Amino acid sequence: MTRDQIFFITSLFVFFVINIFLLATGSLSPDWAGLGTFIAAGITLSLYSFLYKDNPLFKFTENLYVGVAAAYTMNQVWYTVLLADVINPTFDLNGQTGGNHEWLLIFPVLLGLFMLTQLASDNISWLSRIAFAFVVGLGAGLAIPRTIAANVLAQMQPSMQPITADLAGFNLVVILVGVVTVLIYFFYSVEHTGAVGVASKVGIWFLMISFGASFGYTIMARLSLLIGRAGFLLEDWLNLQLPLF
Amino acid sequence: MKDFLINLDRRFIFIFVAIGVILPALTTFPLPIKPTANVRAIYNTIEEVAAQNGTVLISFDYGPGSMPEIQPMTLSVLRHCFSKKVKVVGMCLWPQAVGLVQQALDTTSKEFDAQYGTDYVFLGYKTGMHSLVINMGRDFQGTYPQDLQGNNTADLAVTQRIFGLKDFDYVICLAAGNTPDGVWIPYGQERYKFKFGIGCTAVMAPDQFPYLQSGQMNGLMGGLAGAAEYEKLINTPGTATDGMRPQSVVHVIIILFILLGNTIYFLYDRKKGGAK
Repeated sequence: MTRDQIFFITSLFVFFVINIFLLATGSLSPDWAGLGTFIAAGITLSLYSFLYKDNPLFKFTENLYVGVAAAYTMNQVWYTVLLADVINPTFDLNGQTGGNHEWLLIFPVLLGLFMLTQLASDNISWLSRIAFAFVVGLGAGLAIPRTIAANVLAQMQPSMQPITADLAGFNLVVILVGVVTVLIYFFYSVEHTGAVGVASKVGIWFLMISFGASFGYTIMARLSLLIGRAGFLLEDWLNLQLPLF
Repeated sequence: MKDFLINLDRRFIFIFVAIGVILPALTTFPLPIKPTANVRAIYNTIEEVAAQNGTVLISFDYGPGSMPEIQPMTLSVLRHCFSKKVKVVGMCLWPQAVGLVQQALDTTSKEFDAQYGTDYVFLGYKTGMHSLVINMGRDFQGTYPQDLQGNNTADLAVTQRIFGLKDFDYVICLAAGNTPDGVWIPYGQERYKFKFGIGCTAVMAPDQFPYLQSGQMNGLMGGLAGAAEYEKLINTPGTATDGMRPQSVVHVIIILFILLGNTIYFLYDRKKGGAK
């Protein structure tokens, strides 16, 4: 037996001993809620075991999550989309359409089914191209004007305001310098020497500050998740009455 | 010692971070939380909507993976709306959010005696993303003929006068993905010109600031800190406020590790091109 195997078997043993102790002392209730807490604690610890080393428990839990998430999504899609928006109105199963069957819904359903023909034999898989052509055409038609309006034109407008002699004006200058120098940094048709080189270096500084801000926020995000799980383990599972959680 | 520090096992950092999270849980020490202008803007807009006896649409676009950050925002915003008798319409662009939102609605509606149908409505998840938002703008009741419970939206007091996105006094997106800048702004706000605010995970927050500057959104809650600020504004400390203590302690630990790493790099390892 390797050291890692001994470590993981001991960890599992300790986990089960703790749960038996919690059950015996009444900290973990012997009902569905208690079982849920037990499973959630086990899954949380299995995922965090990756911090020590990749292991079968982590792999199992990772795959379990994917499976549960897919099943939950399928359930939601069935009840709130397929049943409510397709089957009920088409066949008027719940009287929502007052006897008027919405047969036109069959066409989008057919397009959806065509997509699945990709998984079938080559004889019918060409049908999926019709569905993909529709999706690509519709997607491009919707996305191009909306993206230009919302992400380009609307973003350019505040960078082109008159510069005033106050804090807002200073902010505007900083943004203007940032936009121009970063654009110069990504402009590769001219050699980055002389004035262009200086501007490009200033652009790098703006990029580095932006990456630093993103990194700081990312640390905050990941820590929030860790704090959430730590709170669950200490308060809900181990039932420790700590001042914080 | 030199080699040990240069090739420091990352598991030492994990242990320090774990200590930084657990130790503040054993004690209490006050940390000031000062609401920023971006969070206050969402609060003030809901106050304005309350004065008009208006309706707020909240799009819950997150899942269990981002629950520690976004669920406190959901609870705080719902508490604020229900306490001021602002009508709430909830919807989800992420299927994983449905259970979490239902839980939050049940908890907060009981606290303020908010009644389903007259004070709030939950539409659940619907697929479509951008096409869904465009259709909601054109014909809300046609897009959502029924709520999650199967009631006709045309008959419910909250939704019977809502015919499009413009009829909402405020739209809030609480998100863990790209739905604010990828769906709501280009296909909703930019097209139908409604007031829009967001609460998002901290990872997303830096990417949202340009939309604040352009006025496409009027408020932003970023991560656990944003949620804690909102809890402060509504005077109801919750898990976000509690989380600020370990958050701050671990931030200090990480800053110290960054300083240590850079110091070692400049002292010993710079000429060699980094740790091996």
